[in-house]
Amino acid sequence: MVNQHDQHPAMHPSRRTVLKSAAGAAALGTSGALGSFSEVAFAQANLRAEITKIPGVGKGAPTDADWQKVGELCLGPTKASIKEGEFKGVELSFMGLNNQNLHNLLFRGFLKPWEAYTGAKISWIDLAQADYNPRLQQAIATGTVDFDILEMGAPFEGDVCGKGLASEMPDWVKKQIDVDDYVDYLKPPVGTWNGKTYRVTIDGDCHNFNYRTDVFSDATLAKAWKDAGNSTEWGVPKTWQQVQAVTKFLKGKKIKNQNAFGYLDAPKPWGGFGFYFLGSRASAYAKHPDDKAWLFDIDTMKPRINNPAWVRAIQDVIDALPFEPADQLNADPNTTGFQQFLAGIGSMIPWWGDIGQVAKASDTSVIGDVVAFDILPGSDDVYNSKTGKWDKLSSGPNHAPNCAYLGWGVYVMARVNGDEKKHKAAWSAAAHLGGKDLSLWMVMYPSGFQAHRTSHFQYDEWVAAGYDRKYITSYLNSQLASYNHPNRAVEPRIPGIFQYYSIAEDELTKIFAGKVDAQTGANNIAAAWEKLTDQIGRERQIGLYKASLGV
Amino acid sequence: MRLISMQNSVPVSDDLHYRPVAKRARGSGKIAGRALVLLASLGFMLVLLIQILHTTGAMTAGFSDWRPILIAYLVWAIAFGVGQVLTRGEHGQRALFLLPAVFFTVAVVIFPTIFGIYIASLDWNLSSIEGPRFSGFDNVRGMLNDTYYWNALGNMVFYTAAVLGEYAIAFGLALLLSAEIRARKFFRVVFLLPMMLSPVAVSWMIGKSLMEYRFGPAATLARYLGWDNPAFFASPWMARFSIQAMDAWVSIPFIMIILLAGLQAMPKEVQEAAKVDGANGWQSFWHVTFPIMLPVSITVLIIRIIFKLKLADLVINVTAGGPGGATDTVSSFIYRVYRDRSNVGYGTALAMVYLLMIIVLLTVLLRLSKRWTQKVV
Repeated sequence: MVNQHDQHPAMHPSRRTVLKSAAGAAALGTSGALGSFSEVAFAQANLRAEITKIPGVGKGAPTDADWQKVGELCLGPTKASIKEGEFKGVELSFMGLNNQNLHNLLFRGFLKPWEAYTGAKISWIDLAQADYNPRLQQAIATGTVDFDILEMGAPFEGDVCGKGLASEMPDWVKKQIDVDDYVDYLKPPVGTWNGKTYRVTIDGDCHNFNYRTDVFSDATLAKAWKDAGNSTEWGVPKTWQQVQAVTKFLKGKKIKNQNAFGYLDAPKPWGGFGFYFLGSRASAYAKHPDDKAWLFDIDTMKPRINNPAWVRAIQDVIDALPFEPADQLNADPNTTGFQQFLAGIGSMIPWWGDIGQVAKASDTSVIGDVVAFDILPGSDDVYNSKTGKWDKLSSGPNHAPNCAYLGWGVYVMARVNGDEKKHKAAWSAAAHLGGKDLSLWMVMYPSGFQAHRTSHFQYDEWVAAGYDRKYITSYLNSQLASYNHPNRAVEPRIPGIFQYYSIAEDELTKIFAGKVDAQTGANNIAAAWEKLTDQIGRERQIGLYKASLGV
Repeated sequence: MRLISMQNSVPVSDDLHYRPVAKRARGSGKIAGRALVLLASLGFMLVLLIQILHTTGAMTAGFSDWRPILIAYLVWAIAFGVGQVLTRGEHGQRALFLLPAVFFTVAVVIFPTIFGIYIASLDWNLSSIEGPRFSGFDNVRGMLNDTYYWNALGNMVFYTAAVLGEYAIAFGLALLLSAEIRARKFFRVVFLLPMMLSPVAVSWMIGKSLMEYRFGPAATLARYLGWDNPAFFASPWMARFSIQAMDAWVSIPFIMIILLAGLQAMPKEVQEAAKVDGANGWQSFWHVTFPIMLPVSITVLIIRIIFKLKLADLVINVTAGGPGGATDTVSSFIYRVYRDRSNVGYGTALAMVYLLMIIVLLTVLLRLSKRWTQKVV
């Protein structure tokens, strides 16, 4: 009590104490003790604001000059840990994609200032999406890994990290890129193997639902919908049952003097990646909230592709195709996304977040002002694989966002481990690409990468960059709701997963062309998958499948 | 003139009787030669054995890769050549002209084929942690039950039969270009242009742009002509014909240029004689031009069939084998098995069986063509 009483006069501000404190603060500022902290905070906020205005949303597609400028401005963390010219003489090889002139092309621009500063030199191995998997598999199987840094999706972690081909992430990199900032579904076990961290995450992948606002607010269509005897209001479908009804209804209707179409399926094979689009139609039917698995039975790897849920999704495609554009059978996901939906054809597609990025920020889009987003539609009932019955949930329609592919990451290969300088250089390059600020720019502009950090969901930053608040709120909410959904359908990170998908694509094209019915085709896929599981090794696959689901 | 000719004929006749006497190797040279070849062969076999044992894990010593085996092969090849000269004298020197080609063929054709047969007998999926396993004829047995393979083979029958149509069109064009028409040289160059284009470029320019359903000029023209939904790749037969049309567009110039060369080499007197005998245009073509052109025709048809059996690029790029496998070719299917599914053993087995089929087919075709041409000639 005495002490408390004695303290009071000292805490009471007087002219003298205020002046003393002010002088002390000024001294701190002059000495840099306080100044460095505030400068860093301000500088980072300024940097984020500055880079996200390059070139500015709606001001055309970014160019190589823009990528270099962003790379230069984001060099701060590199400069803090690496001396200028420290990697002189180091040569690194980087293997990645060149899809839609993005990915590696951006990395080149971002890393040019890094090369100039550190003195290292990077050579590039550019691959088309379809060539990526075979090139990587061949390098792994034949022991001819000829790259030091690799852009890779999480589904391949079983093939690469599981075989000891990747270099473990040093702690200084974890700190530099702030791994705690990643959204929850991209935190371990994703990016890790046997408890070791390998991946610099640069992307978050989940299919969301992209739809046309003008179509679903059109008064003429609303009237026609009512006139057709529908009891519900005309609006954005919330379930797959509604998607089917709207797709059938829109056939033969007009919107802005053009033929209106509803949902766009992607039946043409796309190197295995096309299977995700059937997965998006199936997840609400097949992913039960009480069951983590939805593609295989968890204890046996028995495929579920021929169960009633998946067959229903396949049948939905068969039923919808006659109401879609006449050549839809020859459309792969790239066609539906970039040649149809962004060009104004069709009113609903599932896709990764690229559509939302490109719709607003790219010259190729005509729908930037009339597109909105949601999580994938749900289903009034969901199949329960354990009971073999369809359940109606008391909570309403079952939603199960398809967390397809789990995003791209940058990995450093184990072959640099023997050379300390090269090891540090490779990780520094990877850390630069996966930097917190640089990643914000990547997810805002066409890059092939979507939001994947908690810090990416600060909507004001997007608005400041030029995004329309309503638009970006819709876009980011659809992503965040998918990432955090309790019933999300997660990609299995098992070796050879694209072989399963590729086999399925082949059989699906036969089904969609009318050569076999949905059940027979699905049975054929299941038989081929069983054979493949045996060939790769069933017991090992079961273990990895469980691990990927966190069981 | 006749005298000169006779004078010339004398030394020619002498030349025919001239038989150079080959220098024989001496006895010591023979022994040294044999010893050299023996040593080199033993050395090569030893290095090879060490590397095989090292690779299979039977011993730790060995090389990190197979490059030293290639060097050992080259050293052995040189030693073998030197050994030939030492052992067989001038005959050995003559053999040196042939040996490099033989060794090269062994290295890049014979060995890869044998190695391919070995790979074809493996159950080898690149994702399998256990790596390759010997499975004998399992892959071939699997192929017999593979509906995709047989479907692709069925499509190949269609594509191969269509070569006759390509040939007919090419022959017509060759006849036109060999006739005295205006701007003949210009048309010859223009007609050759499609052949100069890469099939991948054609896939994009024609298949994915010109014939594109929404904005392609070909689709727009088809709509103008009354076809409501000009989807060139959505129904099986339409897609098959569309792929065939694109392939024909690229390939007809090749057939045409060979036939044109044949037509220009044909003696004019024969046709003039037919004309004098009162043959009309069709009779002159059918009874004179066509039979004379038959050897050229068969040659170009066989070459074209070989090319056709390898059709893949157009299909992979434009339809990916669809719709429902309607346009799939054996090569595009193997591409998917090998590249998309990393099924190396099975993919190689499919390719090996297909190679055998092509060899048998072409052998039969060559025999038949020999008979036909003999009959006509």
